[in-house]
Amino acid sequence: MNCSMDLKAYIVGEVTEEEHRQIETHALACAECREELERLALTRDSLLLLRDEEMPRRIAFVSDKVFEPNWWQRLWNSGPRLGFASAAMLSAALLVHAFVRPPVNPALSQTELAQTEAQIEKEVGARVQAAVAKAVADSEVQQEKKTAAMLETAAKRFDVERRNLLSVAAGNSDMLYKQMVWTLRTSGQLGGGQ
Amino acid sequence: MIFREVEDRDLITRARRQNVDAYNLLVSRWEKRIFNYLLRLTGNREDALDLSQDVFLKAYQNLAKLEDLDRFGSWLFRIAHNEAYSLLRKTKPEGDLAGDLVTADSSGRLFPIELTLAVESALKQLSADQREAVLLKVYQGFKFDEMAEILCCPVSTAKSRLYTAFDLLKQTLAPISARGVE
Repeated sequence: MNCSMDLKAYIVGEVTEEEHRQIETHALACAECREELERLALTRDSLLLLRDEEMPRRIAFVSDKVFEPNWWQRLWNSGPRLGFASAAMLSAALLVHAFVRPPVNPALSQTELAQTEAQIEKEVGARVQAAVAKAVADSEVQQEKKTAAMLETAAKRFDVERRNLLSVAAGNSDMLYKQMVWTLRTSGQLGGGQ
Repeated sequence: MIFREVEDRDLITRARRQNVDAYNLLVSRWEKRIFNYLLRLTGNREDALDLSQDVFLKAYQNLAKLEDLDRFGSWLFRIAHNEAYSLLRKTKPEGDLAGDLVTADSSGRLFPIELTLAVESALKQLSADQREAVLLKVYQGFKFDEMAEILCCPVSTAKSRLYTAFDLLKQTLAPISARGVE
């Protein structure tokens, strides 16, 4: 057969609609393909004569502990599985890093250690001094603010008291002036009568 | 009220939570197909039944490993394929599956039972790989890509096995079938 049609795919239903149409159109014109299609169809239909047999007995499972996974299998198959795996990998990486890390040269370590210690002491001392100075400065500033606030309050209070006193004094002098006027008028009337 | 048939994927999800009733329902949907596939592959009822039970037990134990719930069918047949071949390797050497040829009566026409026997016989003439390709395509209706997944081979190989099987079956069955059945 010289035609390139995939007739077996057609027979077992593995062609697209377009291929299906093409093969049917072609088979109308090509006797050889038409006969081959008939033979294949007869073969397929013969195969389909075999019927499925009923099962001698049904399969059914019971809830048996034997078939159920253990608690650790359920745990492993659940969400934390990935977490455990990640933690294990991280632990392994830490161990590898700890064992594979290059050893420290003992000849250099003494001098380097001394230098490092001196540098650390110096740096720590400087930082402590700076921190103390900053704390003292902050404290002084706060104290100055408190003092200024107290002075301001005292000045206000003194001003209020002074105004009160002035007001009282003014009232007293006014009263004294009225008494003097009354006394003079009274003495004038008596003198005019003699 | 709307009734919706419970889908396989729902049953699989429940079975994964150790719901045995859900799994039994799933088994009842697939057991006949698996049994008949194994029966035609092994040619023995007891073997097919024992293998079917093993298949569903293994499927239950490995349900958590099923990635695509929509491909449960091909996954299940893959387990069945492995179980069957494991048994066949133990019991029957490759190529030792030839059956008796069916003879026609004097008129050349066959009784239905004889045609059935002819089909069974013709299937036995095939190699195990070719026969399995026919079972998966013609009787189980799997697509080529699903067949490749079950057989663990390229699509082209699955296709080639089926086509060769059809060429061989055609020589035996087409003339018998064309003569007709009484």
